[in-house]
Amino acid sequence: MRERLEELRRQGLAALATAGDEAALRALEVRLLGRNGELTAVLRGLGAMSAEERPAAGKTANEVKKELAAALEERRQALRGAALEQEFSGAGFDATLPGPPLPRGTLHPVTRLQRELEDHFSAMGFLIPDGPEVEWEANNFDALNIPDDHPARDAQDTIWVTPPGDGVDPGLGVCLRTHTSPMQIRALRRFGVPLRCVVPGRVFRNETQDATHEHTFHQMEGLVVDRGIGVPHMLHAMHSLLELVFGRELETRLRPGFFPFVEPGFELDARCPFCTAGCRVCKGSRWIELMPGGMVHPNVLRACAVDPDEYSGFAFGLGLSRIVMLRYGIADIRWMLSGDLRFLGQFHA
Amino acid sequence: MKLSLNWIAEFVDLTGETSERIAELLSLHTAEVESVDAFGEGIAGVLVGHVVECGRHPDAEKLSVTWVDYGGAEPVQVVCGAPNVARGQKIAFAPVGTTLPGGLKLKKAKLRGQVSAGMICSERELELSDEHKGILELDPAAPIGALVVDFLQLRDSVLEIDNKSLTHRPDLWGHYGFARELAAILGRELRPLLVLEAWPPGEAGVPVDLEDPDCPLYLGLRVDLGGAPAASPQSIRRRLLAVGQRPVNDVVDLTNYVLHELGQPTHAFDFDKLRGPRIVVRSAAEQEPLRTLDDVERRLDPRDLVIADAGGPVALAGIMGGAESEVGAGTGSLFLESAAFAAARVRRSSTRLGLRSEASARFEKSLDPALAETALRRFAYLLAAVRPQARICGAPASAGAARTPHIRLALEPARAAAILGLPLDRGQVVAPLRALGFGVDDDGGSALQVEVPSWRATKDVTTEIDLVEEVGRMHGYDRIQARPFVAPVVAPWRNPVRELGRRLVDRLAFAHGGHETQGYTFLDSRWIARLGLPESAFARIDNPVQDGVDCVRRDPVPSLLEQAAGNVREHERGMLFELGKGYEPGAVALPEERIWLAAALWRRTGGPADGADSVFGACRVLVEDIARACAFEATAASGAEHSQAPWAHPARAATWSAQGRPIGFSGAVDPRLVEALDAPRTEIGVVLLDLAVLAEIGGGARSAFRSPARLPAIKVDVALALPVAVPYARVEAGLRAAGGKILESLDLFDRFQGGALGAGVRSLAFHAVLRAADRTLTDKDERKFLQRAEQLAEELGGALRK
Repeated sequence: MRERLEELRRQGLAALATAGDEAALRALEVRLLGRNGELTAVLRGLGAMSAEERPAAGKTANEVKKELAAALEERRQALRGAALEQEFSGAGFDATLPGPPLPRGTLHPVTRLQRELEDHFSAMGFLIPDGPEVEWEANNFDALNIPDDHPARDAQDTIWVTPPGDGVDPGLGVCLRTHTSPMQIRALRRFGVPLRCVVPGRVFRNETQDATHEHTFHQMEGLVVDRGIGVPHMLHAMHSLLELVFGRELETRLRPGFFPFVEPGFELDARCPFCTAGCRVCKGSRWIELMPGGMVHPNVLRACAVDPDEYSGFAFGLGLSRIVMLRYGIADIRWMLSGDLRFLGQFHA
Repeated sequence: MKLSLNWIAEFVDLTGETSERIAELLSLHTAEVESVDAFGEGIAGVLVGHVVECGRHPDAEKLSVTWVDYGGAEPVQVVCGAPNVARGQKIAFAPVGTTLPGGLKLKKAKLRGQVSAGMICSERELELSDEHKGILELDPAAPIGALVVDFLQLRDSVLEIDNKSLTHRPDLWGHYGFARELAAILGRELRPLLVLEAWPPGEAGVPVDLEDPDCPLYLGLRVDLGGAPAASPQSIRRRLLAVGQRPVNDVVDLTNYVLHELGQPTHAFDFDKLRGPRIVVRSAAEQEPLRTLDDVERRLDPRDLVIADAGGPVALAGIMGGAESEVGAGTGSLFLESAAFAAARVRRSSTRLGLRSEASARFEKSLDPALAETALRRFAYLLAAVRPQARICGAPASAGAARTPHIRLALEPARAAAILGLPLDRGQVVAPLRALGFGVDDDGGSALQVEVPSWRATKDVTTEIDLVEEVGRMHGYDRIQARPFVAPVVAPWRNPVRELGRRLVDRLAFAHGGHETQGYTFLDSRWIARLGLPESAFARIDNPVQDGVDCVRRDPVPSLLEQAAGNVREHERGMLFELGKGYEPGAVALPEERIWLAAALWRRTGGPADGADSVFGACRVLVEDIARACAFEATAASGAEHSQAPWAHPARAATWSAQGRPIGFSGAVDPRLVEALDAPRTEIGVVLLDLAVLAEIGGGARSAFRSPARLPAIKVDVALALPVAVPYARVEAGLRAAGGKILESLDLFDRFQGGALGAGVRSLAFHAVLRAADRTLTDKDERKFLQRAEQLAEELGGALRK
């Protein structure tokens, strides 16, 4: 018995001393000290011994067990120390390997700009209603002070919806809205006054497509109607918008512009943010025409049952698609609705 | 519209102002100036030459060999092809090195062996007219070597005005109107227009009948020309050239001159070609023919207003004259029409006929009817200078009257100042109005009484706010300082659909890796047919941008499919989605709008048909996740009867509902259609959800919270071998029932068939977690669950795998 224990100790210690890694140690642990291990087998033999021999043998067995356990732990610490030393040395570690793949989705660039503007105006208490892209002629034109025979209708090549066939009331004309301005009518009729709102959305013109012309594009309309509203208030809203869009204050100039639903009507130009001496964007003029606007025409207020003697308001428009193109340097507007991942996949911010 | 500053300078002193400054002033105060061009600069290299020798070309019958002195050291030899070149002429000479307006740069050349060092120019080569029969002969007094552009006094600054910014200003369709604006802006005097004050005795002898109220006034001047029409003098020609109007002959040139000066169109008929004695202004008869000056034979109808003589229509009122009565080389006597026509009638007719002219562009703006007579008087005045031999045959024939609306408006100076945000006193409100020709009565009351001049009273200035605009723009909008408005702080109404849409778009992009796209609202009807959709289901476009692209989409799926297919070559797999609107024709003319959240995802074929790695499964997960984001559970019904859209896969399709309401669709696209889309070896799946319904069911809902259980759980793995025909959902439902209240979660982690299982059998393996809130579970609970699972497996025709 004693010999067997001695042998076990000798062999065990030798094996532990040469165990090269944690797996080998674990295997040794099982072989030597496990429930079905060698030491257990020896201990099982204790039962067959005489009562005199048993205590001494048992003591020895326990010593061997402790010794082997201690050696195992020592070896384990040594290996762990060595492993950590190796790990901490950084050898064989490649920090430059890529991490796991993540979803890499993107938002459409118009959505990104639109959200910034929505948040900006919402913070100032503007509401953001939504309106139909297929719109009554009456809202798109008539209520906006553009009667049927008005030459201003020429400026907006309208796409008309075919009147429905039998069994459906043809009613009035229906078109694809040529601007977001019919939302002035809908918002005033729905929410009444005082009102401040912005309405982003898709608009349509019957234009042949090329790099700078698209029949489908995006605008944002702004409308404020309250008592005592004047041109300075409009100017302030426009300035705050431009500052948001271009990230800095730009020199601007306000000049006359004609839109039948405002009076007076304006065009706001800004100093070209892309050059100091004339460029392709400003066509050398150093000014870029950015935002049309004006004081809401009394006829528009009347069409929405608002008394123009008591209330006044301003409206402005912004070409979202155009600003997106300026902002990202997109030269061809046809990318916008192309659905091409080579385009869409770039807009992570 | 083009504006010549030389022309304007006849009416207002522009001394000291550069053309750029004038362009800026007009942009800031009146109308948008698009460009400033230096007219005449294009021929600045062309010099006055003297033909000192002229002889036949030895080898070419039609060419002459000349020697031209143009002020250089010695005359040069020039070969000329014009029949009218002759010794002693003063001509326009382009020496070697000059670039002509057409872009031709002159080089020394040999023509049939003879050296030619330059070119003797025709009017067309100088872009002065279409005349190309011969060279331009200059006045014999022209100084040799002088610039032709200076000798002919052609230099001018021409402003291009954006016509859209003049839509509301009938008074600005001629130079005199702009002169009036500039006089007011610069604070200078507007010189009066010189006109023939008194008509000579006699009468036109042409009775005029106005049978239609759309012509309230018609005037016709008879002129005996005293000879055939001839070329106009330079003073007329250079003005017309500057504004882009090619000179024709003195009669036509003068009508154009008056048009560009006053904005009033007139029309010259060859009097002898009119079938007299009477002129009638009436509606056209059905199918009545008229060949217009552009040589197009037109069929008119009663919507068109015509000028007719005894033989029928001779002009389309306010739009274009007829070819039969056109003034030509043989014309000796004129009937010059100047009239007022209803703007709407002219506009509708010209739009319908697709015939736009300088005249219709002006009449449709509602011209001042008083201009009709002024135009004739101005014509007569100019004619006397241009063609002294001509004789005006008395006062014009006349019918109707110039009914200018008489508009008197009250304007409160304080209100103008408040709206504009400019500190204007009374005088500062009055002054710009007077400068523009408004009459202002100030009796000291709170409001001024303002009389609108006839040239602004037809449409443009009708209310007080229009006067505010006049005051504002004259002072300059540039002076207005921005100021924030003051309003009560109240939370604005929030748009639940928009807010949910934004959240779900983020989820599709950032949790699922989709790319947000935008698709066109119009669909090609041929594409609709290929999708198997009936055209009758779509609202249609009357005037499509492209032929056949005339269906208004019902949802974004068709455009998503096209876009997805377009990306297949570059990207083996991917996802596009759109938050977009669709339209369904309904019971009223305005189609019903729906907002859709739609996605299309694609990958190479060859993956599993169903389950976690399939296109169908990926679509399913999107819907489930969106439902979870809206804090509700959505349930799917799948199978052939749920493949409703014709483009959907006949079997791999599911319709979704929540709380008893349909919310949308998910599933694969019919593989035959994918192939037809030219997307080889690709599977496409589609998700289509109605955003408004999602918002109604779960827009504002939040996840429910329960305190997490503290007692330990038992984790059990359970696998069932079942006939493949048993659907997963049946198994899951059975296991959930087997677990009862203590089943905390159940997840499918493995699925396989074949191998040792035998044919027609598949194994579904689940991780189950058992836990009770009020006691610690024991082995007994686990055994009971497994027993029930085994019972379930047997009921379903299979066995529990041990």
